[in-house]
Amino acid sequence: MELFDDFPSMGRKDLVDLKKGIDFAFRDFSRDNGEAIEGFFDPLMYFMVWFEKLLMAAPWPIMILIFAILAWLGARSIGIVIGTIVSFLAIGYFGMWEDTMATVAIISVATFLCIGLGIPLGILMSRSNRVQATVTPVLDIMQTIPSFVYLIPVVMLLGIGKVPGLIAVCIYALPPIVRLTNLGIRLVDKEVLEAAEAFGSNYRQKLFDVQIPLALPNIFAGVNQTIMMALAMVVIASMIGVKGLGVPVLRAVSNQYLALGLMNGLAIVALAVIFDRVSQEYGKRLQKHRQGGHGV
Amino acid sequence: MNKLVKGLAAAGVAAAMSQGAVAACGDVTIAEMNWASAEFMANVDKIILEEGYGCTVELVPGATLTTFASMDTKGVPDIAPELWTQSVDVPLKAAIASGSLHKMNPKPILGAGEGWVVPSYTLENHPEIKTVLDVIERPDLFPYNEDPTKGAFVGCPAGWGCQQINNNLFTAFDMEAKGWVLVDPGSAAGLDGAMAKAVQRGDDYFGYYWSPTAMMGKYNMQMLDFGVPFQGMDDWLACTTQAECADPQPTSWSVSEINTIATDSFMKNNDPKAAAYIKGREYPAAAMGAMLVYMADNQAGGEDAAIEFLVNHEDVWTQWVGVQAANLIKKSLN
Repeated sequence: MELFDDFPSMGRKDLVDLKKGIDFAFRDFSRDNGEAIEGFFDPLMYFMVWFEKLLMAAPWPIMILIFAILAWLGARSIGIVIGTIVSFLAIGYFGMWEDTMATVAIISVATFLCIGLGIPLGILMSRSNRVQATVTPVLDIMQTIPSFVYLIPVVMLLGIGKVPGLIAVCIYALPPIVRLTNLGIRLVDKEVLEAAEAFGSNYRQKLFDVQIPLALPNIFAGVNQTIMMALAMVVIASMIGVKGLGVPVLRAVSNQYLALGLMNGLAIVALAVIFDRVSQEYGKRLQKHRQGGHGV
Repeated sequence: MNKLVKGLAAAGVAAAMSQGAVAACGDVTIAEMNWASAEFMANVDKIILEEGYGCTVELVPGATLTTFASMDTKGVPDIAPELWTQSVDVPLKAAIASGSLHKMNPKPILGAGEGWVVPSYTLENHPEIKTVLDVIERPDLFPYNEDPTKGAFVGCPAGWGCQQINNNLFTAFDMEAKGWVLVDPGSAAGLDGAMAKAVQRGDDYFGYYWSPTAMMGKYNMQMLDFGVPFQGMDDWLACTTQAECADPQPTSWSVSEINTIATDSFMKNNDPKAAAYIKGREYPAAAMGAMLVYMADNQAGGEDAAIEFLVNHEDVWTQWVGVQAANLIKKSLN
């Protein structure tokens, strides 16, 4: 039957008109609201510009010292501190210091923003099945839609630069922390919650003293995934003009420079591993009380 | 009697030849390269050669380097309508010298080229700005959003030859000292997005672009005169296009060479009228720009755009073909 040979799609002219209609509607929206939206993000942009300049201008021994101190404070492990120092020394020696500082600047802002937005959102989701049912599809979209699909409207509204890059990173990196916070809190034993209620805890005490501490393993898994995904987006962010390690990686990909791509890629990996190990060790220390006699 | 026979024979041969001339345009393969203007030109050539000159045309997909290599070594396809020849300059010269390829048309598109552009309204609002040198003196008109004290010049993304050229020209014109920042857009999408956003908001914008493109047409961008002469191909190739250029000199952009190239077998075995059409067709910049904008707005492919062009731009293409061919083509469009 003819009907089954080609799918009876919308007429070609109607399809083109529909697409043009959407494009024009967005263009009008951008023209009317673009300045206001840009203005809203300006403080964030100036903060990121200042932070990046700070990290790039600070003398490198001081920066390495700061990273070593942060690693120690987080992990309390000599091995990780030494690994951090050696990695950054290698990065600087191979000429990638400034790009790495730019990447550290934008990724740390993105990570803190995502965690700051994600954990409360996850807590909200855990309170109500309705909220979970509404938010979950949104998270699915955020994780799977190809980045350039939402980047095109973002670039049309905000131009190229740090803020669209931050938005790109956050859209991709937010879902893990939200989902895992939600999961962690929902997985807390019902009997433990009952016991807390029996002792007369109010909602805040239950949340902060019982649920979140017991959900910490899952929450830290979420933090780890968010950091990894944020660093994975570094190259995409550089495709809309964000400075950092993504720029030489793009150059390497476009011009087939193997060594350049490998070195900068490994620098990104080194950053990811350092961020991750430090945050994981911090998370483990927070949960020390849960470990049995032999560190089980 | 002999003279009569000779005369009749000559007339007979002439008749046969003219019959044969129409039928002699046999099979032709044309390269349909993978960008909008090339797709469009290939389809226009196909319709004109088929309807106007009775050829049997087949379109073959292609790209600059691959199509040239195929024509050079295998003699297929017969015609490459839009070959940007700077990148194949040396082997092309060798092929032309040996006679295997012919440069049919040195200027199929007028107004093509690369350079530094500003929106038309910038020039209208600031009539004192006429050349790139004038723009460089006014970074205050093009503030960089991340550092409003400096002017933003948007360059080329990684992987494009123009990235290195822009870097060198940025140094040559001493733009950093004059208060400019060379903004790397990151990708083609970033470059297009930055330009589109600025023009839609009515902001002044200064950056690199090339023609013929839908973006130039859609946003009515103007390519600026550099205000300095071209430094010569030797210096251009040795220094300005290279990363290791120690001391780049101010210069205008090299003239982009686009040629229609045909193989020797096409020249020998096909209708000379068809060859004459290929030699003579020249797209004015405005017409090509309009068609590219049409293709972008309507998401039209090469064939649809070619038909639209033939229907609505008769004044342009009827100048390239004889009256007889023009009538045949017009009839076939109905």
